[in-house]
Amino acid sequence: MTARAAPAVALLAVAGLACAQPTRAPGPPPSAREAAPIDLTGQWVAIVNEDWRWRMVTPPKGDYASVPLNDEGRRVADQWDPSQDGACEAYGAAALLRMPTRLRIRWDGDERLVIETDAGRQTRNLEFGMPLPAAARSLQGLSRAKWVLPPRPAGGPGLAGAGGGPVRAGGYLEVETTNLTPGWLRRNGVPYSEDAVVTEYFARFTAPDGSEWLMVTTIVDDPRYLTQRYIVSNHFRKEPEGGRWNPRPCGASS
Amino acid sequence: MLVMLGTALPVAAQTNLIGYWNPIFHEDVDERIPGPSIGDYLGLPITDAARLRAEAWDASILSIPEHQCKPHPSTYGFRGVGVLRIWEDRDEDTQQLVTIHTHIAWQEQHRRIYMDGRPHPPEYAQHTWQGFSTGTWEGDVLVVKTTHLKAGWMRRNGLPLSDRATMTDRFHRYGDVMTHVMIVEDPVYLTEPLVKTNGFLLQPAGTMTPYPCDPVIEVVRDPGFVPHYLPGQNPFLGEFAETYGLPRAATRGGAHTALPEFAETLR
Repeated sequence: MTARAAPAVALLAVAGLACAQPTRAPGPPPSAREAAPIDLTGQWVAIVNEDWRWRMVTPPKGDYASVPLNDEGRRVADQWDPSQDGACEAYGAAALLRMPTRLRIRWDGDERLVIETDAGRQTRNLEFGMPLPAAARSLQGLSRAKWVLPPRPAGGPGLAGAGGGPVRAGGYLEVETTNLTPGWLRRNGVPYSEDAVVTEYFARFTAPDGSEWLMVTTIVDDPRYLTQRYIVSNHFRKEPEGGRWNPRPCGASS
Repeated sequence: MLVMLGTALPVAAQTNLIGYWNPIFHEDVDERIPGPSIGDYLGLPITDAARLRAEAWDASILSIPEHQCKPHPSTYGFRGVGVLRIWEDRDEDTQQLVTIHTHIAWQEQHRRIYMDGRPHPPEYAQHTWQGFSTGTWEGDVLVVKTTHLKAGWMRRNGLPLSDRATMTDRFHRYGDVMTHVMIVEDPVYLTEPLVKTNGFLLQPAGTMTPYPCDPVIEVVRDPGFVPHYLPGQNPFLGEFAETYGLPRAATRGGAHTALPEFAETLR
């Protein structure tokens, strides 16, 4: 051990004592609502500045650029007809958050987070409780949710971060959705199948101008129509409660 | 003693970003691989000044020697092509994290993100393509603040960013997927922060090759000639809208074109 290392070890030992945590009193585990490391509730608006011409308008038939379709996926996509534009298949869980939409997110009890969209008038239930109820396949499927907490800083709470600033809590929501009916990744019939598994990560951050943002990374795994995972991310800006909300049902030309 | 602990101890156990990452091109593929169309500003919160500059841009400028070997500025590089490598430097004695490096293959875009709490230099310090970056951890997310950027671009079709632009970017890791978020602010060319996201996939056996670039005379021109269009004289501005059947009011961009209510006006 070098002469310089010895004091450092002593410091670490003292730090370990100083940061010892009190023992948690026994009791029921916190509910999902109580355990939430970030608050996703409120109204959010999609800021569509990526894939604009595939999201804000219905792209032409056969335009599946950048979606990793296999031959069967292309065959199905090529069967789409413009008369189907606006159908509810475009509003399934795998692609709902790609729509130009507003979201309203709220708790329903302590173990269910509800996402409503005005585009297509859809509702997704993100279930934290176990087990998931048995249900028929549906456009929004069954979504199992869990909070993911960041690793606890070894320096302990209250210590400065390596960059000199405070270390904030962070954390994100992970959601896995199955039990889906077939739907579309794009409004022009680019398909996903009932075998699809959709994994999503919901994170929240504050921009330097003070605006609040929700970012959702979506991974669609569908061995029937895709050659690899389809990975996109969508960002939403927080809006005041009771702001603009324009429900438009799917199933009609939208 | 407590003061010493508060300033000297590293915060360990953060997300490990080290490795080779391949960009995922499932979004904005037209813009990011072949390159954006002239006149495509869809969804971008640009000012009139940005639009005017972009409309004067001539792609031939990339053929003159002074522009051939330009790297992307850090405000664009993560959207471009090329493998991303991330590694870190730690102090040999204390093992404190000092610097996180990001290196993108194309034109060797190398950023140094200082994690040791040093301040940003004064405003008059040199501006560079990658800027001056400092980082902090927000939970398991690396958050980086970049200043001192050269005048650059937000899109490869002439949409500019000024040397007053700053960027906050965030690195969120989800297993072998990383989502990189850019929040760019520019009082000259943006009306509000430009938020963009880029996906990366971990490449366990990744490699990085050098990217040497030597400018050559591609086209013999009069000395000092700079390819450009004077206002109102760019003949290509309408091609993108015509090709995809979009209204010019949409392709000219602006913050309002990113909102759901703008889509309703297109029906």
